[in-house]
Amino acid sequence: MAADVELERVSKLYGPFTAVDDVSLAIRKGSFISLLGPSGAGKSTILRMIGGFELPDYGTVRIAGRDVTMLAPYRRDVNTVFQNYALFPHMNAAENVAYGLRQDGVPAAERKKRVREALDMVEMLRFADRRPNQLSGGQQQRIALARALVKRPSVLLLDEPLGALDRKLRQQMQVELKLLQSQLGITFIFVTHDQEEALAMSDSIAVMRHGRVEQLGAPAELYDRPATAFVAGFIGTQNFLPGYRVDDSLLMRAEHDAMFEARRAARGLTRDAHVLGAVRPENVLLAGEEPAVRNRLKARIAATVMLGDTMEFVLALPGGRELLSRMPRRASGSLPEGAEVWAYWEPESFNLFPFEELEARQGKP
Amino acid sequence: MPRWVMAWPALAWWTFFFIIPLFWIILYSFGSRPSAVAAGPVSLEVLSFDNYWQALSEIFFRVFQITMRTAGLGTILCALLGFPVAYAIAMHVPQRWRSIFVFLLIVPYWTSFLLRTFAWRIILAPQGTLSDILQSLGILGRPLLILDTNAAVQLGIIYNYLPVMVLPIYVALERIDTSLIKASMDLGAGPLRTFLQVTMPLAAPGLFGGLVLTFILAAGDYVVPTILGGTKGLMVGNLIATQILASQNLPLGSAMAVMLIGLLAGVLIVAGLLLMTAQRLLGLLRGAPL
Repeated sequence: MAADVELERVSKLYGPFTAVDDVSLAIRKGSFISLLGPSGAGKSTILRMIGGFELPDYGTVRIAGRDVTMLAPYRRDVNTVFQNYALFPHMNAAENVAYGLRQDGVPAAERKKRVREALDMVEMLRFADRRPNQLSGGQQQRIALARALVKRPSVLLLDEPLGALDRKLRQQMQVELKLLQSQLGITFIFVTHDQEEALAMSDSIAVMRHGRVEQLGAPAELYDRPATAFVAGFIGTQNFLPGYRVDDSLLMRAEHDAMFEARRAARGLTRDAHVLGAVRPENVLLAGEEPAVRNRLKARIAATVMLGDTMEFVLALPGGRELLSRMPRRASGSLPEGAEVWAYWEPESFNLFPFEELEARQGKP
Repeated sequence: MPRWVMAWPALAWWTFFFIIPLFWIILYSFGSRPSAVAAGPVSLEVLSFDNYWQALSEIFFRVFQITMRTAGLGTILCALLGFPVAYAIAMHVPQRWRSIFVFLLIVPYWTSFLLRTFAWRIILAPQGTLSDILQSLGILGRPLLILDTNAAVQLGIIYNYLPVMVLPIYVALERIDTSLIKASMDLGAGPLRTFLQVTMPLAAPGLFGGLVLTFILAAGDYVVPTILGGTKGLMVGNLIATQILASQNLPLGSAMAVMLIGLLAGVLIVAGLLLMTAQRLLGLLRGAPL
């Protein structure tokens, strides 16, 4: 595994605030990695340190094995697609794309050829002589991409580049970015706070919180085997039930003495620990009759939400908590609001994590 | 409601304070001095170009030449001194301190223009502070003798109009999105190339505004040359002021003023054309991107 970009024990402090806290990360050549986390998690700071716009207070940054920690941005084989695109307003699209090649002294004939290719690649050849203010957000986005890629960097940094686009366009650009990345074989480091975006595009995701990498793994791994309650809640939707572990078993005693069984407990979970049990809405099934499984709760359907191909049920539990259940719409049958049902789930889809206070993210589609 | 309706306050202001006075000056310039004082400042019974013929004297052109030189050199020096100041405030001062720095720049304007200019007489006097310092440092072997010369006028012009240059440049620089600077560096341009290819072109409108504003104000100034220039440091403004205030010859003064306006406009148009040509040449030199 050839690491293209390597961070070794990197920290960045802003006064008393630790933006990046002792992060080590090795990014494989040609891979698509997302740095995912809420704002202030330190993901953009990491990107800026790789780009050379921010110097780490501690640690080393290596690109292609070379220590670039203190190297100026213009001496790094890295290009960035900025959050607001940062297109030069006094140049047209083609001049923007040509800018980087001009700095490198690429001869005019080759420069023109490469600018043309880059514009063609993002399907913007027609708009070559438009100024940025004559282009839509999506078009500016494409020019910014062409401007960075025309230099054929070994690493492309993308700082929430799709944040300003509307949902439809964003999804389209996600697919295009992913295709482009696999065609070019360039390492993409993508910063986002949108977990769907990260799941859709990445080979691997580093989930960040408080300046640290909370978990690094492939999208499916993070989704199925989150290491902490934070990761479990940040990726996808999650139902959390508080309770206490029974001895050092995989059993959990929840409110009203309900007992639930899990198949996995987070690493380092102590005996009788205060825990959060987590089950995803798509794994919560509904039945009219009391099912013969351990993990079951009596609930009332408080609301039904149509999500297109899926149906979401907001279940009210006796203690006042809510539980979400999702199923394909055609399987949902006729479950009216107000109906009394049994919610149940398999131990396989139930994970135990050390208890922590999480921001309410439940029920977000 | 048509769109121009919203523009009427600006139009009214413009008409009232700009068009109408200008119209009167132009009208006066074709009039003549009345025979009796009681008839008012200008007689408009016979309109003629006589005042213009009279104004087209050798002295007018010599003084005009000096004015252009003083104002031109002053404008260039203001730009050279002012740009780094504006750049430092806009690019290197943290945002929350910026308005304080700009404020400090304007603070001297709270005292009278006259007073500030008179203060320079004390500084520049042969027995004044500057003279003493320069002599004690051994830079000058004799007292400083620039007061009541063109050099003193030049200095006063630069001093008075520096903020007029700094402010528009500052505004232009301050509005530059810093991510553009980063993008330029990201694409391989070092600080100097970034400055020349991104910062300067984007600051150009501010710089141009500052140049025009400073030049026009400096060229029309007559307070600085009156106070600091003595008899040797005359500028066109003095000629006009003399005609209007001392000689009571409003028609001749008006004709000179109209000529000054025309000549200034001519200078600016020529400068603008030169700039556009230079830009076009630079573009050709760089070649098309595609």
